[in-house]
Formats: sequence, structure tokens, C-alpha cells
Amino acid sequence: MPFLAGTLIVLSLLGTTLDWKPARSDYTWSFPQDHWARNGYRTEWWYFTGHLRTRGETPRRFGYQFTFFRVGLQPTAPPLDSAWTARDAIMGHAAVTDLMNKRHLFTEILYRATPLLGQFGDGSSSLIAWSRPPAGSSGRWSLHWNGKGFDLAASDEGRDFSFRLTTRGTKGPVFQGPNGYSIKGGDEGAASQYYSFTRMATGGRVSIGGEEHAVEGVSWMDKEFGSNQLGARQIGWDWFSLQLDDGRDLMLYLLRDRRNRVDFANGTLISKEGRTRYLGPEEWSVRATGAWASPHNGARYPAGWRLQVPGEGLELMVTPEVPDSENVSRLLPGLAYWEGPVRVETPSGGSIGQGYVELTGYAERSRPAL
Amino acid sequence: MRRYLLHTLKTRLRAGRSLYLLTIFGVALGVASVLSVQIINLSAVAAFRGALRAVGSDADLTVRGLNRTLPESLFPEVLATRGVRGAWPVYRLDVAVKGSDSLLLEVMGIDLISPASRESLELLGREKASEGLTQPGWMAVTPELARVQGWSVGDSIEVSCGPREARLVIGALVDFARVTTLAGAKLAVMDISQVQGLLGRPGDLHEIHVEAAAEDRADLKALLERRLGPSVEVLTPTQREDEAAGLLSAFRLNLTALSLISLFVGSFVVYTSSQALLVRRRREFGVLRAVGATRAQLLGLILFEAALVGALGVVLGTGLGYWAARANVDAVSATLTQVYLLNEITSLQVPPWVYLAGAAAGMGAALAGTLLPALDLCLSPPRSLLSSRLLQERVRTSAIPLALAGTGILAMAAAWYRFAADWRPAGFVLGIALLMAIPLFTPILVRAASLLPLSGLGVRYGFRSLAGRWTTTVFTASSLAIAVSMMVGVTLKTSSFRETLEVWLRTSVQADIYVKTESWRGRGDETALSPELISRLSRTRDVVALDRYRRLTVRSGGERIFLAGVETGLPGGEARFPLTGGDPDAAYRQFREEGATLVGETLARRRGLEPGAHLPLVTPDGERRVPIAGIYYDYQPGTGLAVVGLETMERLFGPGPVHSVALYLKPGADTGETVDRLRAAHAGDSLLFRSNRKLRQEVMEIFDQTFAVTRLLQGTSLLIAVAGIILTLLVLAREESAELALYRSLGARRSQLFRIFVGKGLGMGVAGLALGLAGGVLLAGILVFVINRAYFGWTIQVYWPWGTVLVQSATILAAAVLASLYPALAASRTPATQLSREDL
Repeated sequence: MPFLAGTLIVLSLLGTTLDWKPARSDYTWSFPQDHWARNGYRTEWWYFTGHLRTRGETPRRFGYQFTFFRVGLQPTAPPLDSAWTARDAIMGHAAVTDLMNKRHLFTEILYRATPLLGQFGDGSSSLIAWSRPPAGSSGRWSLHWNGKGFDLAASDEGRDFSFRLTTRGTKGPVFQGPNGYSIKGGDEGAASQYYSFTRMATGGRVSIGGEEHAVEGVSWMDKEFGSNQLGARQIGWDWFSLQLDDGRDLMLYLLRDRRNRVDFANGTLISKEGRTRYLGPEEWSVRATGAWASPHNGARYPAGWRLQVPGEGLELMVTPEVPDSENVSRLLPGLAYWEGPVRVETPSGGSIGQGYVELTGYAERSRPAL
Repeated sequence: MRRYLLHTLKTRLRAGRSLYLLTIFGVALGVASVLSVQIINLSAVAAFRGALRAVGSDADLTVRGLNRTLPESLFPEVLATRGVRGAWPVYRLDVAVKGSDSLLLEVMGIDLISPASRESLELLGREKASEGLTQPGWMAVTPELARVQGWSVGDSIEVSCGPREARLVIGALVDFARVTTLAGAKLAVMDISQVQGLLGRPGDLHEIHVEAAAEDRADLKALLERRLGPSVEVLTPTQREDEAAGLLSAFRLNLTALSLISLFVGSFVVYTSSQALLVRRRREFGVLRAVGATRAQLLGLILFEAALVGALGVVLGTGLGYWAARANVDAVSATLTQVYLLNEITSLQVPPWVYLAGAAAGMGAALAGTLLPALDLCLSPPRSLLSSRLLQERVRTSAIPLALAGTGILAMAAAWYRFAADWRPAGFVLGIALLMAIPLFTPILVRAASLLPLSGLGVRYGFRSLAGRWTTTVFTASSLAIAVSMMVGVTLKTSSFRETLEVWLRTSVQADIYVKTESWRGRGDETALSPELISRLSRTRDVVALDRYRRLTVRSGGERIFLAGVETGLPGGEARFPLTGGDPDAAYRQFREEGATLVGETLARRRGLEPGAHLPLVTPDGERRVPIAGIYYDYQPGTGLAVVGLETMERLFGPGPVHSVALYLKPGADTGETVDRLRAAHAGDSLLFRSNRKLRQEVMEIFDQTFAVTRLLQGTSLLIAVAGIILTLLVLAREESAELALYRSLGARRSQLFRIFVGKGLGMGVAGLALGLAGGVLLAGILVFVINRAYFGWTIQVYWPWGTVLVQSATILAAAVLASLYPALAASRTPATQLSREDL
């Protein structure tokens, strides 16, 4: 449920009375068409995280994040004769975490979606979205559907990292919530259409610090779209996507209110075969076991969790691989969130999986204006 | 001594309050002149920066098209250049508001999704920014403009830019001055897509603002220039400001020079009043010296008082200067917008150093003016100070040597100029030499005035007695002479220029009706006329021919120049560009048939271009060298203008729209009626129709407006000089009290003494006027033939505005008489009892 920045921007547009489509429980899904942009919804995102490693006896390990957000400015583009006219804004976040050197690199883009700067495909080709890279870099960020998964590319010459990856779904797509209708709170209509590829075989190349590496690994992909997700009292969320060694995958999210109490929570457990079991908030629990203070902005994040799903016999210790995996936005000053790779262990310390965690709303100002 | 100073200060200030007040007044006016001009100058340059800084933050570099716009396809190229940390597109338009009295908004189209200036966005608020993206015609304006125009949020206004019209909505009131105090009140911000789509042209940008990733911008500048090619230029903030400052440099220099002359005249007043004050206190200083005070102590005492009086003058002058700047800012602003096509000044910029400079100038003038009389007094022996007899006029015989010294200064300056003529500020050195020499001729003039064969005891005696009080009268006459020189010099220059311009307009403005869009100031292709409109105009009843005019800003020889493309509708229409020399027929034929250019005199003079040479022009296909057919008289300020045929322009720069047309009517047609008919027929087209007469009238109005501040400065100097006459006569009334008492005791009537003093005032007026007229003619010569040519490159034919000079002379003499009335009255009341034994 990585609806981070897109949702933040949506907040900036609250109060506009444009005619956006709401998420519906009876939405009729159609794949692969639903991998492309669903215009008419206010926000939409394609979200990839994964663990990668190089081949060889002493592999280098990396975590990565790649996200394209579509932020609807208006349901239809205004009839203006200008290349700057746009129906949508396109925002992208990309990060690479070097697990060996405990180093986390983040970069971002934010453009209006125009032929000059970036666009969303209409389904007539494999292109789902593309954009110019951050200022100072050449090439493109891109996302394609390759028939079995997604091809994605991102680069930032200024921060000296890039990746170009091909993914192949080995499970799914699976719906997060019945029929992919994911409720986000008690407010009417606070929901999104949400599906995932929770396990995707991944290969490609990662370049960091001037060195290029051939990598392979496993990714998690979320696609979500809707028009009204967060309630006004909600300030952030904790989101977990865990891939267990026994083939099961677990997605959990909890939305917090202004007093940092859990306002709403839900989860999904996906079996090795791809069957889903939706978990109500009473069926699981999360307790932070540690904390980390950001040297960038002083925000204090939880770091390390004990996670229990008693009905599934799961008791997991989730630990950040690199404590400083905070993404601090330059384009949207004030926006900061923690997004990093985690290892999953038993209480006795035995490794049983890996995953990604996203923590938002902990920094003082994380809801900037667009 | 310090104790004495403090104890007696209050008494002294009270006793000499009128003289002190006049001294303060002299210093204050000088400071006010300098300060107001500097404030206006700085504000003019600041206004240029304001609009960009408000919405563009402080970009490290600006990418700009050589021909005003650049293709927006270059934006991704800029973005992709290594070393760029951020890049933002800007689309700028000057938009005319319909129904207003020629209100032009400076509309900045920026990317509201990713703006360069976060501060501006913060002021807008997040919801407002969203509206700016989605609501058609949404625009943020300043609260000040909304107040003046009576606009509220939600109001709609009709605007036009060139042939395009749109309805804009006041979406938000944003005080951009909170981001930068330089922001203009007429700044309006819209999303770039709306500006371009509603009023502008697709495909183009005006600027790209660049933030550099590293501090070293030079590398990035070079990299961008290489990557983007020759059709654009990459400017640092300093280069941009220098460009605006350079454009205004002559204008600013002119005002600065005039304000310094005011200060110079002010220092003469200080001299006169200091001398008057010291004369009153000779006996006091004599006593002090007799009881053991040293010369240095006396000097310190006098200079301390001068500093005190100077400080009061500075305080008064500072307030007065700021007020004068406020009062004149609109006139200067109008000049900037109409003549130099720059941003108008909407707020005054006063960095602290300007106040400090004004204070230093005022204190300097006060101390310098006091120093001479103070030294004179301190060096006098105590005995002579205690005597009621005043200083003997030991320099009476030095009038001729001083005049020779003045002649020497002028001769040396003239000789020096022969070698330094190429140095641009050489004219100012000549002007300074002239102003230095003028006072040296005053003694001989004062003596000459005293020898005038006049009838009537009072006036004749008044004239003759002038030379008797040389040190006092000469300085006053000198200050008057300098003020008159300035007035006459500038009058001669402006009158000649005005006359030249009128003659030139009669040659150049020959069509009957001129048509352009209301937003013509925008200069870009957005302000052009549509081909359909031009076709309709050409079919208008009584129209027999039509001139088309297209203008571009192009790069030539490393600078930006205006290039005009002209297609004349009547045979021989090229004659509207009168040539400075050569064979006009051959030049016009070459222009018409061979694609040659006619170069404006300003540009030609600055670049040393001559017929037969080539004008380099940077075109989209690289540099082209266009043969120069002739040089024509051109009175446009700025970097200069060249003209080519419209076809030649299209060949060089590609096709483009026409910006204005001139209509010729058939003989006997009623121009006024045709203009009315055209206005009615094109009521919704946002066009300006002006008759030949109206256009010429407007040019002359702009001309007069340009020189409004000059006239104010002239007036200030004259006011200071007239104050000097009052002072001098008061001094004389005091100095000569014993002598006047003697006359009274010998039977002279009060009316005779009154006339004597009026005669003295008139004598100083005559001497100052005579010298001032001569100096003014020389100054006019320097202004017209040296300074004007060096800074503007115009040819100004000299015309003698006899009537104006005569009126001015009469005014000066009348002012001298009026100024002498009060002192004359005071002198005539001198009782015979003032006569002491010693005086006898």
C-alpha cells in the first residue's frame, strides 16, 4: 500500500470539485489492461521493491525501490494549445540500498505529464509510463509491461546510481482486499483499487558509485488507484511487504491518527500457490522493538518490530537492513519517509524471509503542498 | 575651549538662526538632489530584477533565445545537461487589460507544479496552486494592483495580447513583495500552460532558469552554450543586471551629473552663509585669540559648528530627497517603460549605503564650503579681528589673473580632449573643467558689472559697490552663474533635441494612420497582427497603400540589437529613413534590390559601421553578414536599430508575423474620420489606431516626460543659487551696517538704501546671468556634440531657443530682484546710531 506521495499530493487538491471516479467494490478488472494508467481516478501508482544480489561466492546485496505516481490534475486535459497543458503530473521515486556498505541512495522526479517531460501509455504499446530523469541526467525513466512482468529503468547521474531491471511474475496478480477493493478507513469512500505481484523473479543491472553489477533477485509490485483514500485525521502509515522463505507472502498496513494511534489496519496473507487470506486487524499485531532518529530532520521512526499472526502460527522479528533508509525529498520540501529493506527472522534469530517496510508521517512536515 | 563651545552654542545658533537655516537649506537641497537621483537610479535597475526574482528565485543561470524566444524543445536538453540541479521554464507576456487606461500586466507564466520559487508558492497556498493548474484563466495578482483596480478574488477581466484575447480570473492575491521587495505591483502569475495557451504562442519559451549543482557556474555555462548551440545565450545574474544597467547607463549618468551640480551649487551657498556667520563673529574670535585661543582651536570650533549645521542639512536633505524620489518616480518610470521598454518602478529601493553617500556628500559640501572663510579668519591677526573694519579687499587686483587661470583651464581641457576624445566619459571631464572655470571669471564680470553706465543713484551705486565686497559677491555670482549655465546648457540641448526630433518625425512619420496591438510593448511575436487583420485593413475604404513592419531582437557583434523588417507600400517609401550622408538613391536601391541594411546612427557610431561595410547578424542558420547601404538618423535609445527589407528578414530569420502596419489614405480623405471608422470596425480587436498627428504628439509627450526630472534638477540648482543671493545681501547688510549708518547720518533716505541693495542683487544677477549664458552655450556644446554622441550617438541639430532663454533670463533677474527685497528692507532700516567712533 505504498500510496505515499501520491496521496500527499491528492491532499493538496482537496477542496477542488472535479469529477473523479471513486474506487468501487464491484470494479471489473481486466488484465493486462489494468496495468496501464486508469484515467479518471485522481491518483495511481506502480510500486516496486526488491532484494537483489550479484552472482558469485561473495555476492553484493542490494535493495531497490522504484515508483511512478500519476497525479490527476483534472479528469480531462483543458483544450489549450500548449505543450505544457497536462491532465496529470508524473512523479517518480527511486532508491538503491547497498547492504554491504550500509548506504541508501534516493532520487526523484516531478514533472507535468507532457510529451516534453514524461507521459503515461494508453495501452497501445508496452509503455506504461516514462519520464525525464532528474535534472542533470540524460536518458529516461521507464516502465513497460513485457507480457509476464515489468521492465523498469531509473537513473540519476548526479547521485551516481541507476538500475535497469526485468521482472517476471511467479505468483499473481493477487487482490489486496476482496476484488481488489482496499478500504483505508472509516470515512465513506476511503478506499482504492489495489492488486499486487508479491513475488517476481528479477534480473538486470545495477550501477552504483561508478560500478555496474549484474544482479538477480525477487521483487514485489503493487498497483493502486483511486480518488479518495486517506481520512483527514490520518497522518501516516506503517506498511509491511514480507516474502517468507516458505513461499508465503504477507502484506500488512496500519494507518495512524494524529495522536499516533492505529486508526485503521488490514492485511493479506498470500499462500505459496497464490491464494489470499484477508486479515482483519484483530488477527494480527505489530509492536515496535526499536527506534531510529533521522540525522536529516530529527524525525523518530520505529526500527525493528515483533509481528504476530497467531492464526497462521507466525511470530516474526522484522529488522531494518540499513537504519538510515530515509527518503528525503528535495522537490517537495518537508516530505520525508522511511522506505527500506528488512530481514525477517524467528524470535530465536533464524532467517525466514525478507521484505520492505514503509513508514510515513513521522517527520514533522510530511504533507507538503504540491 | 570645549566648554566654551558648548556653553555658547545655543546662543550662537539663536543669534544667527536665519543664516544657519539658509545654510541648512543649501546643504539639504544638495543632498536631496543627489539622494533622490540615486534612489531613482537604483530603483530603476532593481525594477528590472524584481519580477524575475519574485517568481524565479535566484537562478544561477538564465538561458535565453537570441531572438527573444527559444524553442521549448530545448528545455529537456537543459534539464539533461550534467551539472544542472534544476531547470524551470518561463513564459513572459505584457498583457493589456481592456477597459483600463493602458494598463499592462507583466504576466509570468511559470510551472506551478514545479516552480522555481517555493516561497511564491507558499504564499499562494496549496489549494490556490491547484486552482492555478485547473481553473481556466486563473491568475494571481498583487493586492496593491487589485486595490487600485478594484478587483476581488473571483472577478473576471478581459485582456489582450496582440490579436489574442482572453478572459482571466483573479484567482489569488499574492504579495510577491514578501518574496522580494523588488517585485512590481503589476506582476501577475499564471501557470505556463494557461499563458501560452490563452495568450501566447505554442512551442516557445522566453527563458529557462537554471540552478547549478556545483558552485562553479562557469563550467556549466560553457557546457550549456556548447550543448544548446548558437541560437541561445546563457547569462549569469550579473550579466543580466549589467545588461539592464548598461541600457540605462547614459540616462542614469545624466541625472547623476545634474544632481552633483546641484550639490556643487549648494556648497557655494554654504560658503556664503559661513562667511556671513563668521563675519558676525569676528570680534568674538578676536577676543578668543587675544585671551590665548590657538588658531587650531578656532578652526576646530568653526568646523564643529559647520559639521553640526551640515548634519542638520543632511537630515533635512535625506527626508527631502526621499520625498523628491517618490514624487518623481512615476515620471522616470514612464520613461523606462515607454522609452527603454523595461519594467516600471513600483517601489523605491534604498540600500543603506545610498543614505551614507548622501550624508557624506552633504557633510563634505558643508565642511568644504566653510573651510575657506574659516581659514581666512583663523589666519587673520587678532588685532584685525577686533577691529570693526572688515577685511580689506586684497584680491581686487587678482580678477584678471583669475580670469586668465579660468581661460587656462578651458584651454587645457580642450587640448586634452583632442587626445582623449575616444574615451567615453571625456565629455564629463570637459563639463567639470567648464564648471570649475566659471567661478574664475566671476571677479572680472563683477567688476565689469560695477562699471555699467547706469542711471539712478541707488541702483548705480549698488552695482558699483559689488566689487567692493569681492569675496562675498563673487561666490554668490559664481553659484548663480553655474546654475544658469546648467539651465541654459540643458535648455539649449533639450530644445535643439526637441526641434531635431520634430523635423525627423516629419520625415519619418509619413503614413496617415498607424496600427499596432494594445500590448505592443511586449515586443515578441505574440504581439503581432494577424494576416487576416492586415488583409482587412488594406481593404478599408480610402486606404491606398500599407507599410508592414516586423521587429526582432537579434544578436549582432556580441550584443543585442533591434532589427526591423520593413515593406513599404508606396514607391520610394525608404525615404522615411533619412540618411546621414552619401548618395540616398543608390543606398535605397541597394536596400530595396540587394537585401542590404540601413543602420541606425546610434548603432553605427558605437560600432564604427560605415556604408560599404557589413553588419553581422546571428540567424538560426549561423552568422550572416549583411551589406550596409547607408546610415540613417535614429533617435531610439538603447542598443540601436538596423532596418532590412521584410523579404530579407524572412530570408535570414524565416517567416514571421508583422507587428505593426502604417496606412496611407487617398488624397483628400479625412484621417480623423477614417480612424474613428477603423476603431468602430475593430472594436473587439484590441488594436491601437493612431493618426500621424497623434503619433507625433505622443512621441513628443514621451520626450518631454523623459526630461521632466532634468527640469526639476535645474530648478533645484536655481533655487539654491537664488537663496545664495538672499544670503549674500544679508551678509552685506551686516558687513556694511556702519557704512549704511554713515549714509543715513549724511542724509541718505531709506528708499535710497533700499535701492542700493536691490541694485546689488540685480548686479549679482546680471553678472551671474552673463557668465551663465556664456557657460551655458559652452555646456550645451559639450552636451550635444560630446556627451550625447558618446553615450547616445544621436545627431542633434543646434537650434537657438531665443524666446525660452529670454524668458529664463528675465526670470533670473526678477528672482535676483525679489531675493534682494528682504535684505534691502533690512539694510534700509539701519539706524544712523550704528555709526561708531571707530568706524569714522
